[in-house]
Amino acid sequence: MRARAAVVTLLIAAVYGPVAYADPDDYVSTPAVEYGEREVELRFGTASKSGEDRESAGSIALGYGVTPWWFIELYGRFNRAGSNATRFDAVEWENKFQLSEPGEWFIDAGFLVEIEWPHDRAEGYELRIGPLFQKDFGLVQTNFNFLLERHFRSDEREVTELGYQWQMKYRWRPDFEFGAQGFGGVGPWNDWDAARDQSHTLGPAVFGKLPLGGRQVLKYNAALLFKASSAAPDRTFRMQVEYEF
Amino acid sequence: MRSRLLLLVAVLLTSTTAYAGGEPEFALTIRDHKFSPSEITVPAGVKLKLIVDNQDQGAEEFDSHALNREKVIPGKSKATIFVGPLAPGRYPFMGEFNATTAQGVVIAQ
Repeated sequence: MRARAAVVTLLIAAVYGPVAYADPDDYVSTPAVEYGEREVELRFGTASKSGEDRESAGSIALGYGVTPWWFIELYGRFNRAGSNATRFDAVEWENKFQLSEPGEWFIDAGFLVEIEWPHDRAEGYELRIGPLFQKDFGLVQTNFNFLLERHFRSDEREVTELGYQWQMKYRWRPDFEFGAQGFGGVGPWNDWDAARDQSHTLGPAVFGKLPLGGRQVLKYNAALLFKASSAAPDRTFRMQVEYEF
Repeated sequence: MRSRLLLLVAVLLTSTTAYAGGEPEFALTIRDHKFSPSEITVPAGVKLKLIVDNQDQGAEEFDSHALNREKVIPGKSKATIFVGPLAPGRYPFMGEFNATTAQGVVIAQ
């Protein structure tokens, strides 16, 4: 109940207070929280677009399941554009709230709140929030998330943008599942960009979980994304590895 | 547009709540890092609750790839795990922290 109240408050704050396009190392959040879980997470992504410099991003994070409904993760983020040196990009604090037990409601629901402090202070700071949804159909798991993103106190015009992320996977075996993922953004949440200016990517993805004994588990997922709109990168490779202990 | 978005979220959150409650319950106990019973028969095609009572001192994680459920249950506490509706069949589960001994199966028929 406290989680639901916090979600409503944050949603209102963000709408009146933006969505940006996905970073190359973005990933699809799922609504479930594992209480007491500790994890080290590595993410990496690289995107290329003809006529433009390749953009790469990576991050390392520490996560912890604080309560049965609240998971926090602290990220250090890095990026690299073209032939420039890799640089420290930002610190990010991610909060995930599980709103229902898996299977309790018709659709499993959660809520994401991310606060990012960019290294470049001219970017201000960034808030990203939105609901997380999951629905299982037998061995097929589907996820769809709407995310609002906005920079505050930045040198540029502050706009709230709407993005989304989705995945569908066939849960074949614990160590190997396969499916597809997609990421995109439509521009300002209340005044969408023209279709040619929106960013939409999608492509095949693989997933898996490898038990290492006791509490130790290695989880992975990776995708090769292709552009589905002219403003999107031609190709993006992204991956995420989590070591839980 | 703003009000539509808020309305959509409100409808999604409240409408799904209506599905909660009234499911048949089935009890499972964890003791000495083993599930009891280790086989549990449930009706197929029905959403149900597994009430898992962890009587051990330490935490255990109910884990089932077949049921797509992972749930950490602290020591000396209970947890509710929603499953189904299930097609007839066998759905193995385990305690991930003690996987050599904590094994079980849900049989839907």
